[in-house]
Amino acid sequence: MKCAPFRVELPSTVDEVVAALVEHGEDAKILAGGQSLIPMLAMRLARFDVLIDVHHVDGLASIQLDQNTIRIGSRVRQSEIERSDVIKRHLPVLAEATALIGHFQIRNRGTIGGSLVHADPAAEYPAVALALGATFEVTGPAGTRVIPAADFFLGYWTTALTDDEVLVAIHFPIPEGKRVGMTVKEVARRHGDFALAGAVASIGLDPSGAIVETAIALFSAADQPLRLTEMEAALTGHSPDSLDIPALSAAAAAGLAPGDDLHGSADFRRHLFRHLIADVAAEAITRAQEATNV
Amino acid sequence: MSATTSPPAGATPRYIGQAVARKEDPRLLTGQGEYVDDLSLQGMLHVAFARSPHASALIRSIDASAAKELEGVRAVLTGADLNGDAHEMKSSYEVLIGSVGPVLEPLASARVKYVGDPVVMVIAESRAIAEDAIELLEIEYDPQTPVIGYETSLANETLVHPEMKTNLASVLTSEPDPALDRAFANAVHIVQETIRQHRYINVPMETRGLIASWHSGRGEMTFYSATQLPNEFRTFTTRLLAIPENKIRVIARDVGGGFGQKAFVGREEAAVLLAAKRIGRPLKWIEDRWENLVSANHAREELVHVRIAFDADYRITAVFCDHEEDIGALPASGTSLTTGQMVGMMFPGPYKIPHAGYSTKMIWTNTCGRLPYRGPWMMETVAREIMIDIAARRLGIDALELRRRNTITEADMPYTSATGMSYDRLSIDRTLEKVAAGIDFEAFRIEQGEARAAGRLIGIGLSHLVEPTAAAGGSFGIEVANIRMQPSGYVDVYVGTGNHGQGTETTMAQIVADTLGIEYEKVFVHDGDTDMVPFGGGSGASRTAVLAGAACHAAGAELRGKIVQLAAHYLEAAPEDLEINSGKISVRGTPTHFLEMTEVAFKAYNDSPSLPPGMSPGLEATARHAADGITFANATHACIVEVDPKTYRVKVLRYLVSSDCGVVINPAVVEGQIAGGVIQGIGGVLFEHFAYDENGNPLTTTFMDYLLPTAADVPTIEYAHLETPAKGPGGYKGVGEGGAIASPPAIVNAVADALGMDLPSQPLSPSLLFAMVNRAPTS
Repeated sequence: MKCAPFRVELPSTVDEVVAALVEHGEDAKILAGGQSLIPMLAMRLARFDVLIDVHHVDGLASIQLDQNTIRIGSRVRQSEIERSDVIKRHLPVLAEATALIGHFQIRNRGTIGGSLVHADPAAEYPAVALALGATFEVTGPAGTRVIPAADFFLGYWTTALTDDEVLVAIHFPIPEGKRVGMTVKEVARRHGDFALAGAVASIGLDPSGAIVETAIALFSAADQPLRLTEMEAALTGHSPDSLDIPALSAAAAAGLAPGDDLHGSADFRRHLFRHLIADVAAEAITRAQEATNV
Repeated sequence: MSATTSPPAGATPRYIGQAVARKEDPRLLTGQGEYVDDLSLQGMLHVAFARSPHASALIRSIDASAAKELEGVRAVLTGADLNGDAHEMKSSYEVLIGSVGPVLEPLASARVKYVGDPVVMVIAESRAIAEDAIELLEIEYDPQTPVIGYETSLANETLVHPEMKTNLASVLTSEPDPALDRAFANAVHIVQETIRQHRYINVPMETRGLIASWHSGRGEMTFYSATQLPNEFRTFTTRLLAIPENKIRVIARDVGGGFGQKAFVGREEAAVLLAAKRIGRPLKWIEDRWENLVSANHAREELVHVRIAFDADYRITAVFCDHEEDIGALPASGTSLTTGQMVGMMFPGPYKIPHAGYSTKMIWTNTCGRLPYRGPWMMETVAREIMIDIAARRLGIDALELRRRNTITEADMPYTSATGMSYDRLSIDRTLEKVAAGIDFEAFRIEQGEARAAGRLIGIGLSHLVEPTAAAGGSFGIEVANIRMQPSGYVDVYVGTGNHGQGTETTMAQIVADTLGIEYEKVFVHDGDTDMVPFGGGSGASRTAVLAGAACHAAGAELRGKIVQLAAHYLEAAPEDLEINSGKISVRGTPTHFLEMTEVAFKAYNDSPSLPPGMSPGLEATARHAADGITFANATHACIVEVDPKTYRVKVLRYLVSSDCGVVINPAVVEGQIAGGVIQGIGGVLFEHFAYDENGNPLTTTFMDYLLPTAADVPTIEYAHLETPAKGPGGYKGVGEGGAIASPPAIVNAVADALGMDLPSQPLSPSLLFAMVNRAPTS
């Protein structure tokens, strides 16, 4: 369980990162917190000749609040997100999701960008990014482009990033001044394990209390984070009191084809999703209702 | 000298019974333990093994040329290269009782028999280079259909070991007993079920590993080993290398757990020893976690077809335990023959059962071999206690009441079980009542009803056991203590144990301090170095307190007698008038007239003319204690759980153990032993499952998939000790394994009680529990 030999490059700018990616192509991998990459190298499940360590790159490690957006550098540690006052005030669901990631030792090393580009379908951040409509700021040889979360995740450990692009930052829109409630829940075998099933909801209400915007995203439900567009449509435009959320959740869960493995059969995961979807939807509505005075 | 039979101490014991601070803790808790991997020797090279990716395959060819070319690689050895160096691959256990199955070979030479089977050994300047070289090996396999699943493998024409002509390694059956048959024929109720347990494994924190160093000039092999049994490892190596054991030194400094896994020399360890002798450079092999999980040997995959006969009053009149166990392809040397027998012999356990019979089958499959794991016979308690609850549910009687009616009481002592086990000085009924009161069984039933009405699923489970401790034969039946009071008055104690977490340095020092009447701080216990300690059995089989403790008592008493004689000579008093307190020897009643023990010790070595006529100089005594049969102990466990009806996660709300291990040397050590075992049971039932797919590929090869319980999954364990002294010296009984034996059925029974259904198989992972609940109504 020792890594095969590799070389480490230590660029100090995003342009140098891109140059290194261009030079080494698929033989190189960016090293951020290393919480997935290093074990894969040690178990020789992956092999790269060059690791491009981004710890010395300027501008990747800050959390910035703009008017309606929080911009989080890709190298920001998960533990910094968990503790950030800006995030706890303006986007608490992101801090809540962070607390579900692994254990604190992992979060002290792991980065938000690393988790997103690793794109494990059982991870929390990709589903949160999808539910919240985050955008991904990526830089490559042709300059910088912005990829919406809906276009970013393509499948198991696969994203829209090309081999010569680096994720620089993630932009989360914040529902400042709106009646929006968000929440995240998951079920894992033990605290800190990858979720057997997980769900994120963001629900907005109009002044009358009717649902005007709904986003529900699941993790560990498919090969990538999954939006429940049918259920979202069924909620939007209605007063919460008029909805049979358990029935809608059961219908949504019944349509899922989650993985089937030692830790959870597909049937069991559907069962968990039925409850999780109902729980996050109900809690997001409650939180939105409580957000009246924002 | 009459002194050899003197009582342990003239004064009240100061240390026995106290939770004195463990001598091991300062180094272990500050990260200064010394494990094999902490050590480096000059010129040391590193070992890695290429392992079979197939559950069953013929090895067609091995091309190591590219691997040998890699810079930093010093040797690449196959079975053809190395196995001929092995003189004999037998544990002392196998020498004693024999074996079945093929002779173990260090490296698989012609056929691989499980995924992880070691095939090629690479020796290089670093472990990383050795692993690089493994990737360059070209091993051509001819895959065969593997035998997977012991329940079907006896009917399988495919064989794990073709030369054996069968997949049945051994079968043992109790004598035919017409009275047993009549008891079943006359039963008012017969309850039968098959209780299955899944494979879960030892998982010590420190994996296996060794550094082997051959000194050709001296002809000596020194090896640093993570072992429970230093002397057995030495004896094994004598046979392996065909050199005198006097030329072999085994050193185990700190050992990070074993639970039975480090009681047998593994094939990889044998390969390292052979290669170190051949190459002449020190070799280090540290098993990584993947290797430990797939190939350090497995345990617990077994079943019992249980039949219990009851009379009209729900008293058990007969039991039959029909046991089958998966022993994998290559179980530890000597363990394929008899280990299941203990399951049958102990099956009646804590109950008054007039007639009992058993059968046990050990079955080969193409999986990792079986090895003892903490309470290797524990399926007797698992199957029996789960079955008692199933019977209670089916017969409509409370599970506590059913146990009460059948439990052996103190009035029944001494008691001989239907399988011939002789119990005495047990408190089986009292631990049951202690637990029933402590957990407040009756109040719980009320709480449970209220919880059900509120949609909560809570349940209670009991488990009841008689634990055979210090039970094993062979070298496990003896232990030694050599005690030396040095000229300074400080005491060294040399015991044949292999402390790997049991607190032996502490508990044996408590015994010796009280026996000699000196301060605990002045006693130092040594084990784990065969050049230092006399031959003893090592640590395992819940034997240390009983056997090493007895040896410490005997040697301590002899040494105390000599100290008293010497002091009497100097004090001009009669030996029988002297007492020892805190290192001072005085005439009883005149405490001002005393000698310091240190003065006596100094004179014993430095002033031989002053000694009494005929007395030898020095202060040293050695005693060997042989077990007088099995020392039985008893315990009852109670557990309360809550099952989340949405997630099917099980939370252990309370866990209470009443254990009677005789005289408690150190309550903290005893509770640590119980807690560790209980947590392994919680892990085994709720989290741990070493799984293979239908082709024999292991599915749980990292801690992301092989789930151990964490601190968050474990409740505060409560204790209610009883102390019924054993008849042996000191009155100690073993307590090492009962926690791990009795906890799984307590947890299963609690979950079954919460759900109101039989749960005859495990693990109770949320997904499997969901499937069981939604598959079948209660039978």
